This record gives sequence, structure tokens and C-alpha cells, in this order.
Amino acid sequence: MRTRQLVIVTSACLLLSTTWAQTGAKPAAGQFLSVAASSASADNLLNGGPAKWNQIAVKHVALNRTPPLYDTDEPATLEIPSVDVRTARAGGKLLVQLSWRDPTHDAITLAEVPNTPPETRFRKVQTEADDRFFDAAAVMFPAKSGSGAIAPSLQMGDAEHPVEIYYWNATRGAMVMQAQGRGTTRRTGQSFPANSTYQNGQWNVIFELPDLSAGTTVAFAVWNGSQKDRDGRKYFSVWQVLE
Amino acid sequence: MSKHQYAMVMDLNKCLGCQTCTIACKKLWTDRDGTGYMYWNNVETRPGLGYPRQWDRIGGGWKDGALQPSPLPTMDDYGHAWEYNYEQRLYEGKKQPVMPSPEPKSGVNWDEDVGGMNADENYFFYLPRICNHCTHPACLEACPRKAIYKREEDGIVVIDQDRCQGYRYCIKACPYKKIYFNEVTGKSEKCLFCYPRIEKGEVNACAAQCPGRLRFVGLLDDPESPVHKLVLVHRIALPLFSEKGTQPNVFYVPPFNPPKRENYGKSIQEDPRVPIDYLIYLFGPDVKDVITRLEAELKKTQEGGRSEALQLLIGRDAETRYHVRPQLVQIQL
Repeated sequence: MRTRQLVIVTSACLLLSTTWAQTGAKPAAGQFLSVAASSASADNLLNGGPAKWNQIAVKHVALNRTPPLYDTDEPATLEIPSVDVRTARAGGKLLVQLSWRDPTHDAITLAEVPNTPPETRFRKVQTEADDRFFDAAAVMFPAKSGSGAIAPSLQMGDAEHPVEIYYWNATRGAMVMQAQGRGTTRRTGQSFPANSTYQNGQWNVIFELPDLSAGTTVAFAVWNGSQKDRDGRKYFSVWQVLE
Repeated sequence: MSKHQYAMVMDLNKCLGCQTCTIACKKLWTDRDGTGYMYWNNVETRPGLGYPRQWDRIGGGWKDGALQPSPLPTMDDYGHAWEYNYEQRLYEGKKQPVMPSPEPKSGVNWDEDVGGMNADENYFFYLPRICNHCTHPACLEACPRKAIYKREEDGIVVIDQDRCQGYRYCIKACPYKKIYFNEVTGKSEKCLFCYPRIEKGEVNACAAQCPGRLRFVGLLDDPESPVHKLVLVHRIALPLFSEKGTQPNVFYVPPFNPPKRENYGKSIQEDPRVPIDYLIYLFGPDVKDVITRLEAELKKTQEGGRSEALQLLIGRDAETRYHVRPQLVQIQL
């Protein structure tokens, strides 16, 4: 069964990502991302509101829905066909803003867990619900830098081409992850600066990444909580090349 | 395939539904943030809703080698935690009685002792449940993170809390719905067969505290262990819903109620207190053979003979009921 799923997923990704990502051939023209050089500070871009970002050119990046990974998966429709991407260099950082329309705001504020150990407290924090999933987004890029390098597999990299994933979750916040292939993603325990707003059915999420050099490939993913997205059940883009 | 397999046998004829096992487990393992609704061990009245309610009809498990779909149980199925308005009643002069909020609509042990009707007579029995530590765990297969593993040395199935990302495919896959999601930690949790106790040669907390002495623990592959004898030698214990395909390692001696008053001397299969069809629903068609064997053992003792099977089921002391061997783990490591 596993083999069959892998074949389906692999062939789908090959189809969707075009072969250059696997072979290291030059990407098509549409897959370049222009990066603005901003005079604003990284902090200003991260927390200064939309004014600065509105001046930066936007690119609509098409999103694909992963095919069903498991026999028991519920079918899912393509509700988020694209994500708007803006990128800027500022203060030695690369800032990426992802914006997408999502009519359902799947985020909560988790109850604060007191600092005292639970056994010393009469009241414990309760699990309010066991069946909700939250909106999330991520930026993935190769862990090994260097221009001309072969882009890693879109499925969370591979053994020779590990990836870093900057993951933001509407409820649980920002976390840095690493992976070397499907099913190997692990949290590093590190966080990163991120900022998010949800207004009029649209998410705007800003990621502060390390200063990735021109020619680096990046890919994006969006999870829609109301579609029970988590894990590989998500929207993903093909690799884009930073200019 | 693990080298050895711990198993538990529960004699349903001895369960008095006191929930001491439930509390022993809760105090030891699920007295933390986010675990309020978790009962790694629960005791439910059968027939009845179970916990989460209708878990036996939700889905999951295996069929023809494929995992079966299942929705996630919701908090409505587990029951929402409620609080009482003591403040208003005791300090703010509210005249009405103390009331719970939100209004309780379901919960663990919600339909205690309701049972069912057999002709015009009420009947019920108690069913204590823990994780079955299955030989073919559907949860393990379902986890894309490979966070669930079956310990090679003793067959205990555990969730690695570092690898778990809270995707909850395991909860859907488990046909017994014995995995719980902790929203505070964002990870799933389950009964771990008290492996930290087992490794020290101590029996599971639920078994150690059981006043009814109905639990038997040992290695299924150890000819000296009580579980080996009850399941494989005397063949009087069966798993729950074996058709789900996971090969559970928790076994039950089916309720072997005495015949009805006017039927003294007759087989309970002729006019059973608990409908045989219901026992077949839970334990499969082999339950009839088990009851036949149990009746034969009973007859033997009634005629002045000695039944090893029944002596074992009486289980007078811990040495009889438990064969937990700490040295096994040390040798394997």
C-alpha cells in the first residue's frame, strides 16, 4: 500500500514541479521571484503594517493540492488556488510576506498554562476540543546553500539535500524545522520572528528568514484548518528561484 | 514482530465497576494539563454507549489489509468538562441549587448501570478497557511520523512524544478509540501498559489496585504466565472485536452469569441472562465455545473435582495473577 501511495505522490509531484527541480536544469521564466531591496529595517517590515509591503511587487504563485496520501483520507477541493508572495531584503534578513484568501479563520488562543507544576494545582488546563486543525503556512529552502546546486526534492528534501522549513501556525506560532525527505521533518526547538494578521477573509503572514542569496530556491505551503489540513495534507507551490 | 508480548486478561465476572483501576491510572498518568478527558483506563457498562460514546461503531481497524476510515470522535462524544456554580450559591446569595455548567450531556461512565433488556429483565456487566497493545496496531501503521512504535522486547505500543506532531491519524485508525489528543501539548497520548513499572518488576497500576482481582498480567509467550494459561491452554479468554484485525493483546473472560433462578441446573446458553448474541457481537462466535468450556469446568468442581482453570481465575494472590519479570528487559537490552 505504502509503495502505491509513494508512486502516486511522486508522479504527481514530478508532474507539478516540472523536471528541472529534480534534475537541476534551469527553471522556467515564471519561476523567478524578484526580491526588493528595502531601506526599511527588518523590524519595520515585520511589524510596521502594510504600507511598506504595498510598494513591493507581488507575485501570484499557484498552489497545488497534494493528492490523497492515505486510503482513508477524506477528499479535499482546491479552495486556495494561489498565494501572493512579496519578498524584500532588509537589515541582513530576507523577509517574505505570504497573503492568501481563506474565508475560514481557523485559529484559537490556547489557554495559558501556569508556571506551577500541574500536580500542585487543583485546576488543570482542559483540552477544549480534540478535532480542530489550524491555518498554517511555511517557507522551505535548501539547508545547504550554493548557487547551481540541485534543488532538493519537493517532498521535504532528501538525504543528500536536506531542507529548512520555517513553519508558522495560526495557533501555535513560528517554529524552525529541518527535514531530509518525507516523514523526517523534525522541530529544531528554534523559533523565528513572524507576524500575522487576518482581515476580511485574508491572511497576511510575514516570515523573517536568514538572508538567502540570489539563486536560492524556495517553496511555499499553506494549510487550511477547516479542510483538516495537517502533515502532507496541504497546498504547496513548486520551487521558486530568488533573483 | 516483537520478541515477546505482554498481555492482560480481565475476568468480567469479577468486575464490580468500582472504577478503582480508572482512578489508579488517572492519578498516575493523566493528572496533567490537557488530560482531563483522558481515561487511558476506563470501565464502561455494557450494553451501553462506551467512552467515547459509540466508539465501537465509529470505524478504524483493518479490512482486507487496508486501514478503514473513521471520523475523529468529538468532545461531544467524550463529554465537555463542567464546573459547578458554588461561588454564586455560597457567596453571592443565588437561591437556586448548585448547578453544573455547561449542561452535562455526556461523559465517561455516562450510562452507568443502564444496560439493556433481555425479554422483561434488565441485564448489564462492566467492561474495563485499556489500550490493547495490538500485534498489528492500526495506529502504528497510520502514523506518517513513525512516532508510534511497538517495543521489540515486550510488545508494548507507545507514542514517542518527541516525534508526535498531533496529526491524529492514529486516533482515526484505532478501532477501540483508545488514543487521546492533548490540545495543550498538541500531541496524542495513550496507555503505555505502565512500562516504567513493568521494567521494575511491578505490575500495571490498574491491576495492582483492582479490588476485584480480575486482572492477570504476564507474557503471552511465557508458558508459566497466567495469561498464557488462560488464553492458550484453557482457552477461556477472548479479545474484543477481533474482526477489526489488529490482534489485541487484552483478553476477556466473558460474563458467565449464573442461570436464571427458575433455570437451575440448565446451561446458561439455554436461557442466558446476557443474550448470547450480544456476547458474540463483542467477542466473536468463539464465545459460545468458551462458555461451554467454562460450564464444563464449573460442573467439574460442583461434582467435587478440581478445576485448574477456575482456581487460576480465583487468583488468590499476586504471584498467581501476575508474572512480571524485570530481568527480561535487562537481558534483552
